[in-house]
Amino acid sequence: MLRLVNFAHGAFYTVGAYVGLVVAERFGLLAGIVAAPLAVALLAVLLDRLLLRRFYDKDPTAQILVTFGIAIVIEETLRLIFTGTTLTYPVPAWVSAPLNLGFIQYPTYRVVFALAIVLLIVAVWAFIERTDYGLIVRAGVRDRTMVQLLGGNVQLASTVIFALGSGIAGLVGAAASPIYSVDPGKGFEFLVPSFVVVVIGGLGSFWGAVLGGLIVGELQSVTTLVLPPASGVIIYLAMALVLLVRPQGLLGESEVIRG
Amino acid sequence: MSRELRFYGLTTLGLVLFPFLFHAIGGYPGLATQILLVGIGSIGFNLLLGYAGLLSYGQAAFYGLGSYVALLTVSRFFAHAPNFWLAVLLAVAYVTLNALIVGFLVVRLYGIYFALLTLAFAQMLFFLVFQWRDLTGGDDGLQGITAPPLPLGFTSIDLTGTFPPLDLGPLGNLSDVHYWYAFAALVVLLVLAFVRTLNRSQFGEVLAAIRENEERSTFVGFDPKRYKLAAFVIAGALTGLSGALRGLYETSTAIDSLSVDTSGNFVIYTVVGGVKTLFGPLLGTGLIMYLQNVISAKTDAWRLIEGLVFVAVIVFLPGGVLGSFKRKRARKLLAGALRAAPPAHASADSPRRAEEAS
Repeated sequence: MLRLVNFAHGAFYTVGAYVGLVVAERFGLLAGIVAAPLAVALLAVLLDRLLLRRFYDKDPTAQILVTFGIAIVIEETLRLIFTGTTLTYPVPAWVSAPLNLGFIQYPTYRVVFALAIVLLIVAVWAFIERTDYGLIVRAGVRDRTMVQLLGGNVQLASTVIFALGSGIAGLVGAAASPIYSVDPGKGFEFLVPSFVVVVIGGLGSFWGAVLGGLIVGELQSVTTLVLPPASGVIIYLAMALVLLVRPQGLLGESEVIRG
Repeated sequence: MSRELRFYGLTTLGLVLFPFLFHAIGGYPGLATQILLVGIGSIGFNLLLGYAGLLSYGQAAFYGLGSYVALLTVSRFFAHAPNFWLAVLLAVAYVTLNALIVGFLVVRLYGIYFALLTLAFAQMLFFLVFQWRDLTGGDDGLQGITAPPLPLGFTSIDLTGTFPPLDLGPLGNLSDVHYWYAFAALVVLLVLAFVRTLNRSQFGEVLAAIRENEERSTFVGFDPKRYKLAAFVIAGALTGLSGALRGLYETSTAIDSLSVDTSGNFVIYTVVGGVKTLFGPLLGTGLIMYLQNVISAKTDAWRLIEGLVFVAVIVFLPGGVLGSFKRKRARKLLAGALRAAPPAHASADSPRRAEEAS
């Protein structure tokens, strides 16, 4: 949305996971899940104000480089604090029992997680597409100068969106940790597939990202079943194909190609 | 002519002195060799990032592929008659072919899409090599493959041999330096000369024109894709050469050589040293690899420090260490020119000229 390419997004996910972990150990999982996005959003606003602001009007290459550097710094700071060992969250008792869905037994936490994600998607969509503030954001993406002339505060809007996006990464980091484990390198593992998702769906397209996520998830699970050795390659193959045939992504608008 | 002489003379002098001065600041000669070998890849990468303005995030593909092909040539394909030149030649040829195919596809994209597609190809190769255990050893990599001696027509040299002993005081001993270093230095000199010639040719000028304004370069009648493809292939070949030589030097290679981290390292080396400068990438490679070795012996935080250095360079020295140094010099020259020339002319013309000089 911001046309800011963020290589530090994965690091935000990891920060969220660790903040969630620390808070959850003291005050329970729910507190952790609330604290993580707030902390990450705060971190994002700080970074945005202090550093990223200078790179908004530079070329994407400079943005990639600076966020890549930030990602390294965050990852290594986490490694110093928490050491490199893998940590796991205990799944709280009330959601740890398997849930009988009639046709299949499934861990309750995963079901809650999936439902929460759907809720989150709807909430973000409603914010961007249905509120007045979302309108300023969308207009700001299209024509920055015009929105500013009309009195919209694009600077503030971009900070808000950046904080929102980062906060979500933090939230997912905290919420997903009982399912996946946490280690400082998790960010990069999470980052690369998330790029694939966004590129397949279309940069800057909300439903594109959702569609891309579903496609990547499906591709990966189906290939794992059918041809396990190819499961690592398949999503990149899909991404390469999409980039070559339709560089703007499946649901992206063509004008963004030149980024 | 004197400029040529100065370039070759000073570069040679620098390369000869490097391992000894390096010893004085706590580096060991083997590290000096590694820096030069990896530096070849950085110099090639700069052709893309600095001169063509293309951020490839998949250089590891060419680097790793080069090391695998070179070692497999020695241990598998031509195990009955291993030959140093053949290993390097096959590796570079194979990498070049790959770069041609990948390049043909990626040069149609810009900015982030270019970076991501190169990353995607590198990741694909990573998983392929990882899965193809029979040939590549999977996550064990290839190990203990001794490089054959370097044939020179009339004789052949075992590169692991050392120079005769000669005490040099604080600069160490001449016998600390292996023939490998001399060989690496020679290759680096040739690569530097090649890239320098390339940048000064029409090809280099068109590449710069495309970087600054692709549309305009098209209107003037150049096909940007062809130039970008050429830059991509040359950069790939040099990175492959770097990987092949490093693999032969280390007598091993690992799946790490194909990882995102390796791609990122080339980016860090080049940016820290200075994009758009000839010696910058080599300098950056040396600086970071030296820091890594010296600091990692003392603290676990070296990668944090590396990250901080990287961010600091991007924010405060966008031209890299060497680029900023040159800009300062250019600014001084400009200030001198402004004082000498009548102000009306100076304001219109000189800044651009100074910028070019840098």
